[in-house]
Amino acid sequence: MTDAKTPAIACRNLWQVFGPGADKALTDALSRSGDDADKAAADLREHGFIPAVQDANFEVKEGELFVIMGLSGSGKSTLIRCISQLLPGTGGEIRVDGENVMGASKKVLTDLRRKKLGMVFQHFGLFPHMTVAENVAYPLRVQGVGKQERLARAQEVISLVGLEGREDSFPRQLSGGQRQRVGIARSLAVNPDIWFLDEPFSALDPLIRRQLQDEFLRIQATLKKSIVFITHDIQEALKLADRIAIMRDGKIVQIGTPTDIVLRPVDDYVREFSKDVAKGQHAKVASVMRDDDERGPDDPGLTTSMTLDAALAHCMELYEPVPVRDADGNIVGTVHPSDLAAALQVDEA
Amino acid sequence: MTAVTEIPAQHARLSTGAQAALITVIFGALCLALEGVAPWLVKWPAAWELPATQWVGGFLDWFLNGIKPAMRLFSDLMTYPMNAANFVLGNTPWPILIGIVTALGWYLGGLPMAALGFIGLSFVLASGYWAESMNTLALVAVSVPVALIMGGAIGILANEVPRVKAFVQAALDVMQTVPTFAYLTPLLLLFGFGPVVGLIASAIYAAPPMARNVMLGLERVESEIKEAAIMSGGTRLQQLFQVEIPAATTQIMVGVNQCLMAALSMVIIAAVIGGFNDIGWEVLLTMRKAQFGESLMAGLVIVVFAVVIDRMSGTLATERKRYDSRVVWAMLAFTVLFTAAFWAWLPNPSDLTVLDPMATAIDNGLTAFTQANGPWLDALKNNSLFYVLLPLRIGLDQAVLPFTWGFAWTPSMSYGLFAIGAAIALLMAWRGHLTGGLVVLILIGMLETGISNLPWPFVLTGAAALGWVAGGWRLAALSVGLLCTILVSGLWERALLSLYLSGAAVFFCAVFGGLIGLASAVWSPVWTVVRPICDMLQTIPLFVFLIPVLMVFQIGEFSAFLAICAYAIVPMIRYTRHGLVNTPEEMMEAAISSGATEWQIMRDVRAPYAAPTILLGLNQTILYAFAMLVIAALIGTTGLGQSIYLALGQADVGLGISAGAAMAILALIADRMVQGFAEERRKALGL
Repeated sequence: MTDAKTPAIACRNLWQVFGPGADKALTDALSRSGDDADKAAADLREHGFIPAVQDANFEVKEGELFVIMGLSGSGKSTLIRCISQLLPGTGGEIRVDGENVMGASKKVLTDLRRKKLGMVFQHFGLFPHMTVAENVAYPLRVQGVGKQERLARAQEVISLVGLEGREDSFPRQLSGGQRQRVGIARSLAVNPDIWFLDEPFSALDPLIRRQLQDEFLRIQATLKKSIVFITHDIQEALKLADRIAIMRDGKIVQIGTPTDIVLRPVDDYVREFSKDVAKGQHAKVASVMRDDDERGPDDPGLTTSMTLDAALAHCMELYEPVPVRDADGNIVGTVHPSDLAAALQVDEA
Repeated sequence: MTAVTEIPAQHARLSTGAQAALITVIFGALCLALEGVAPWLVKWPAAWELPATQWVGGFLDWFLNGIKPAMRLFSDLMTYPMNAANFVLGNTPWPILIGIVTALGWYLGGLPMAALGFIGLSFVLASGYWAESMNTLALVAVSVPVALIMGGAIGILANEVPRVKAFVQAALDVMQTVPTFAYLTPLLLLFGFGPVVGLIASAIYAAPPMARNVMLGLERVESEIKEAAIMSGGTRLQQLFQVEIPAATTQIMVGVNQCLMAALSMVIIAAVIGGFNDIGWEVLLTMRKAQFGESLMAGLVIVVFAVVIDRMSGTLATERKRYDSRVVWAMLAFTVLFTAAFWAWLPNPSDLTVLDPMATAIDNGLTAFTQANGPWLDALKNNSLFYVLLPLRIGLDQAVLPFTWGFAWTPSMSYGLFAIGAAIALLMAWRGHLTGGLVVLILIGMLETGISNLPWPFVLTGAAALGWVAGGWRLAALSVGLLCTILVSGLWERALLSLYLSGAAVFFCAVFGGLIGLASAVWSPVWTVVRPICDMLQTIPLFVFLIPVLMVFQIGEFSAFLAICAYAIVPMIRYTRHGLVNTPEEMMEAAISSGATEWQIMRDVRAPYAAPTILLGLNQTILYAFAMLVIAALIGTTGLGQSIYLALGQADVGLGISAGAAMAILALIADRMVQGFAEERRKALGL
């Protein structure tokens, strides 16, 4: 590890297997297959168990927005519930700030949740008998924070998510978008370091979804939480993520930046996802830049952080290689306009 | 594809149903043929009976005596709150009580509920049964908190400990089928005669619905809400009491409502053991003296209580508006002022005779009515008895007498009947309905023999066959095993009699309830009329059903039959309508756009889709019929119900519990079988 800092979350060989006596079954299957995860998973399936998460390995750095993407049934919701220890986990380890939480005592987990973790749910999970303010203040109430103090803190986060004036409403009186704002506010009430979001915007209309995504990015820009974000929507993943993990049938098939996922899919499954994506909006000029110095006379002013779409718009009439500059204006490489067009070609696989 | 491969398979081998029916037919035929040679095939010989009732009685006597001191202590403890409740309700001036109930009604449901409370209690006051009513209310007031706490605790415990849950669920299922009277006999032995028995019986009887609803409510709390409570860092107790229970309030309030109704119902039934001057006792007393006017009045008082309690507590389970609490205080203040101002002139409610003329008028009217319509009513009663109920009970071969039918039944007629049956069966088999044909043959055989004279091997085979079709060999084994315990215990004949009467009532309810449900589903004006009637019938405590049938048809099996039908028909109507009305809109549209007529849609789309729901209704109807059967023993039925009632009078725990268990067994088997069929239909429809 080059980064001296401990990652916010680290999962090593994490398994979640469903079925009676899953713990022993997993140990047996792993010893039979000689620690080969794929064989062990097949073995477990054969014996009637469901390996919902198989041998997951990843790290979430401090302040990173880590998105886990997959279709329904791919195990992404199970994975986030493992990390948050809503599910016990069958094998492997999960380190939160360097501390292994697998098999931790109830007390330790409760303490962790009171101090460090916040979670947002797909269907909001709001308490129907509490007002907005009471919902948001609930994580403080269970810690025994006084009423004045917790309502004051609740007011702060309610303002943060833009729900001033609805403090005394009940969840049933709110729209879907407003409800999820309450869910977000509640998860931020204790000012957690680590933020879990389980398909937070999937139950919302497209327009509201985009609005909340933008606001989410705004909030994250100021708060800099370490985030695990679950979604089934590739567009959402590409828009929000620092890094993306793609899951399929309980396995993580690829982890990478949005550009990696779009331009360098590891297999057909991932390629299928990125097929519908307008690559030009996500991939950067850096990804098609060459090191050679053979350039034509034109300089349309490309930079490394420009998206391919923008770059192509600048090079519409050009056929010869052009220079690329970095943020400081120094020329760092060359782009062939034909490479731009080739990169934007839709796969007809 | 699958259809193509399946059809030849069906031809090659009989379906499960046909196999089961065929085996039953063969057994029935064998029993009939061997009747002369081996009479033990028809009637289980007394020599083979085990003195099971004595054993049960002996064991229970020993057991109950063992726990008696502890129970007596408990009952002594319960007398304090009871006396307190009695004192408070008995000595509070009536205007204040009426005021409190009216104010409570306003608080719970605004003007309509306030009016209901005021009019209801005013009626009670005017009827002159105020004191008796307050005694009943005192019992309910003490038993309900006990039941709520017990039921709530059981429900929460079951929710917390998965292993306890399975056990509790099974225990609740069994308790639902054990007849109410059967609870009373052991309690009588434990606590002696007195109001405490009624109190404890009603607490025991009212706790299960509470437990059930608490379990259901907690189970149905959205998993994300539970997870949100965990992620908020709540301890288990905080999660439970701050989040899960409040989130389950609606369902728990349904439990409170059912608990109240069950407690009231049981308190009134417990009047049978007497010793307490309550309203149920008043009904019994007047019924025995054939003072039907008074009896109906007292019955109406019970109904009023039931309706007021039900509707008011029902508002708890719905989304509630907040009503101005100033009105509550104003009402209470006015009541107190009114009482103080007119203190000297307040009449003693027991002396009120405002409604006595009404009771007399009812009596006179009734006499006039029965005299005027005597021949017609008698004809209805006798025709039903002689031409329907009796043949069902003892078979055509014994029921057809020159005295009633005008001719005597001869063996050749039996052969003729069987020949017709066989012909129908053959014809139906020819048309591809082999199972249907065999079932017709079985039914004709049963009609010829009579349900109470069915040979026991035939009943066991039939039960096994039905169980096998409905739920596989496990259900078949369970049914046979349980029935065998009845067989050896010497309660077999009585069990068959119970089966006959409840079977006849269930059949009647299934046909007429089904038709009414169908009519309500296709034509909404019918439902606007039927619905309040159904609501009312389900609110009335079981006991009250006996009064009107007794008034018109006197004591006897026909009255009991009518009472059972009146009570048990409601679920059939409701579920049939519900099932038919709730056909998904898309399916209807698909059928309409395929060009189906109304009738074709009903037959091909709505009815098949509703079948599982209708079967559940039938299931409820069966359970209701068994429950009422025991109560109907008060007005003359034979069979297990009568045994349970007699056992109560003689404090014979062995007989009471054994007969109660036999009833429970019959109900349980019927319940499992119908559920099995419903489940199979649901699976076939992919629901």
